[in-house]
Amino acid sequence: MIRLAAACLFAVLAQAAAAEPLAIVHARAFPIASAPVEDATILIDNGHILSVAAHGAVPGGARVIDAAGRMVTPGLVNPATQLGLAEVAEASDTVDHSVDAGPLGPAFDIAPAINPNSTLIPVARADGLTRAMIYPGAAATAPFSGAGATIRLVPQGDIVERRRAAIFAAVGDAGLAKAGGSRAAQWALLRNALDEARRYAARKTPGPRDQLLNHLDAEALAPVLTGTVPLAIRADRESDIREALRLAADQHIRIVLMSGAEAWRVAAPLAAAHVPVILDAELNLPVTFDAVGARLDNAALLAKAGVTIAFSVSGNGIYLSYDAGLAMRGGAGLAVANGLPYADALKAVTLAPARIWGMAGGLLAPGADADIVIWDGDPLEPSSAPATMLIAGKPVSLATRQSALAARYAPARTNDPMPPAYR
Amino acid sequence: MKANLLRALAPLLMLLPCGPAPAQMDGPPRERGGYGRHGPSDPARPNEAAPYLRDLFPSTYKPLPRADTLIVHATILDGAGHRIDDGQILLHDGKVAAIGHELDGKGARQIDAHGRWVTPGIIDVHSHDGTYVVPLTAADANASDVSEMSDPNAAGTWIESAVNPQDPAFAKALASGVTTLQILPGSSPIFGGRSVILHPIPATTMQAMKMPGAPWGMKMACGENPKGTDVEKGRGPTSRQGEIQFIRQAFAKARHYMHEWDEYLTGKEDDDPPTDDPQLDTLAAVLNGDIAVQMHCYRSDEMATMLDLSHAIGFRIAAFHHAVEAYKIAPLLAANQVCAAVWSDWWGFKMEALDAIRENAAFVDAAPGGCAMMHSDSPVLGQRLNVEAGKAAAAGRRAGLSLPPEHVIAWVTANPAKAMGIADRVGSLEPGKDADAVIWSADPFSVYAHADIVFVDGAIAFDRSDPARQPRPDFEIGRAPEPRR
Repeated sequence: MIRLAAACLFAVLAQAAAAEPLAIVHARAFPIASAPVEDATILIDNGHILSVAAHGAVPGGARVIDAAGRMVTPGLVNPATQLGLAEVAEASDTVDHSVDAGPLGPAFDIAPAINPNSTLIPVARADGLTRAMIYPGAAATAPFSGAGATIRLVPQGDIVERRRAAIFAAVGDAGLAKAGGSRAAQWALLRNALDEARRYAARKTPGPRDQLLNHLDAEALAPVLTGTVPLAIRADRESDIREALRLAADQHIRIVLMSGAEAWRVAAPLAAAHVPVILDAELNLPVTFDAVGARLDNAALLAKAGVTIAFSVSGNGIYLSYDAGLAMRGGAGLAVANGLPYADALKAVTLAPARIWGMAGGLLAPGADADIVIWDGDPLEPSSAPATMLIAGKPVSLATRQSALAARYAPARTNDPMPPAYR
Repeated sequence: MKANLLRALAPLLMLLPCGPAPAQMDGPPRERGGYGRHGPSDPARPNEAAPYLRDLFPSTYKPLPRADTLIVHATILDGAGHRIDDGQILLHDGKVAAIGHELDGKGARQIDAHGRWVTPGIIDVHSHDGTYVVPLTAADANASDVSEMSDPNAAGTWIESAVNPQDPAFAKALASGVTTLQILPGSSPIFGGRSVILHPIPATTMQAMKMPGAPWGMKMACGENPKGTDVEKGRGPTSRQGEIQFIRQAFAKARHYMHEWDEYLTGKEDDDPPTDDPQLDTLAAVLNGDIAVQMHCYRSDEMATMLDLSHAIGFRIAAFHHAVEAYKIAPLLAANQVCAAVWSDWWGFKMEALDAIRENAAFVDAAPGGCAMMHSDSPVLGQRLNVEAGKAAAAGRRAGLSLPPEHVIAWVTANPAKAMGIADRVGSLEPGKDADAVIWSADPFSVYAHADIVFVDGAIAFDRSDPARQPRPDFEIGRAPEPRR
């Protein structure tokens, strides 16, 4: 805790030292928690937002950025991505998001594996992403996947904000074999793990009945039992979603539902239990028997019932690591096309995921971090892109390895006398 | 989040390779003619022909019941490069009868498309629908129909003989404006086999979906997938150079086979006809120019190697698929009249895909004569090819290129039609062409756009406001209590 506090203090000082007062003028501002503000002036200092006001005055000495009527939103927040854990998905030595052997379950903490110099991160940032939950793919101990960490996509320095910010588990078809072949076994193991962890927490040593969980996993589950962090459960089938709600009630823990292809069938109970759902906006095919009820208006139906939603778009698994900004906002746009109110969709890619995981960010309001995007169009249209971005009140580069390649091979350079390697 | 499953599947698609069986040298010059569809010019056996193009599974497709239709007040992108504002289009007897303004639509049902857009039907040049059938189960993981894996030369396989017409992905593609798709074998073998061109109108048999008269393509693959599979299986080439050798050997053997048929049909040999060989039939049809190659290749250097090889052996590559680095050799592709099928933003998942850029399609297009296409490879992406094109075009515009909608629409209509050899019939809304068209609720490149009405051969195959024109596969019947969207 002391180390964490010290790290936070350093971060604050670093921002304070480097940031300059800024004013974004003529913005079509979307504060998220309140109504849009036309012709807004957004004042920024010390890495934070001071004010968002229609036709607000610009103090002397502030650097001015003219948004020229374009949409301005908080930086996007991805609720579930493996950004920084995989460089080349098919080259296993460049992938750190999963383990399939060894003793680790909830104690598989992916934070040390996050690579801030991954080429995937600038691409995500250039698509408007400023914060994310980095989550594990799979751990060896069924049905757990491990512990996730939150990051802030700052251009330099440590990007990890909070380690072990949530524990992840997956039930259903994907991990049956690891539990012996039945989802009933997955649930039994999950319940037992929480029971053993609770006894361990009380005693600080395994008791005679605690034979399945090792001490690492028992300790890793402690913050779930105290409610400090949520347990994220990936499940698609209605029966599993209902079982997850039962588990949360029985164990008095906070849960987050991931994927939730059939969550729309459980919308009212999810809302009543205040369980947020992180769903795949593109899912409308019965890709497995667990997802027979998949439909594109899942998001709209859940939001209408009062469920907090956010989006994690798989894109055949590719988008889980790659294009973590673009795929998510395009998914939100697709949800709008299928009935989700626009304001809910924008919230689902900003404030909602931040709140689900207890992160800062996702707001364009006084006191909030000045992570801000000025868009060249509607951010939920995948053809749009950030025109200007600030993180901690400072403009950040939108350059990526991809933009460097595009510049090198631009059609206008086709007849350059020297080959591309010399450009 | 479907992460685990879909990640497991990814290797079946863009990750899959292919491979063939050996022969000798590259053989006779490339322009050597064969018998193709019409048989020898001076046949000694006039009632016989080489079996290369014999259709074992003829189409039984029939258009749905239809009425002549006049669409009015539409923003039309005709696929041939034109935009017509407040335009009209007349569909008569399954064909485009006229397009423009103030058409004579007497007797035709009229549809007011005010505020809406009309385009040709979307054509997906790279689909695995029907062979990568959802729901996917453990059984699929054991043995998938996407690729025949027993031999790196699966040229003798016809993917149509595996297509399950009940795949729910077909109805979803149709509802997304897709009117024609090419089902390709996977990329595990070097020679994947014959493709088939279908209309995604769910039917009880593949034959009833098969586009009449459409040519086959032949899938080939280079690079990581075939060699990776061969290493895994302990058979076939294990390197890129081994793949090239293998291709040369296979075509040399096919040349010899053609020579045998030639001798037999011209009466130079009085023996029995050569033994029918499915693998060599396909390769012979390729050498004859009756079947074009659909080539899975990511890297620019591999595409250049394959182009040289195609010239040396004498086969035609219609398109490179998953051509992530096409932008690096855009003028070369254009000069060879080869199209590039690309994604808007899939990248990085394998070494071959590291250098992806979002401007890829736009840069391919920018070369004079360049032919860019968006493709799906996935039943999810196969529902958003219009948005894929929108994304890719936007990246090109940010790079300073002029890409108006009436031009970009060709990336998902006219260009794939050309690469599939059906451009004389579909891909653009011109008089005489098949009346395959979509009425979109909005700018078709927008994520908010819905395909309101989808016409195939002039018939309404999908109507978003009419449940009677919304096909549902058998899988969904009696299962989901509410119609799923």
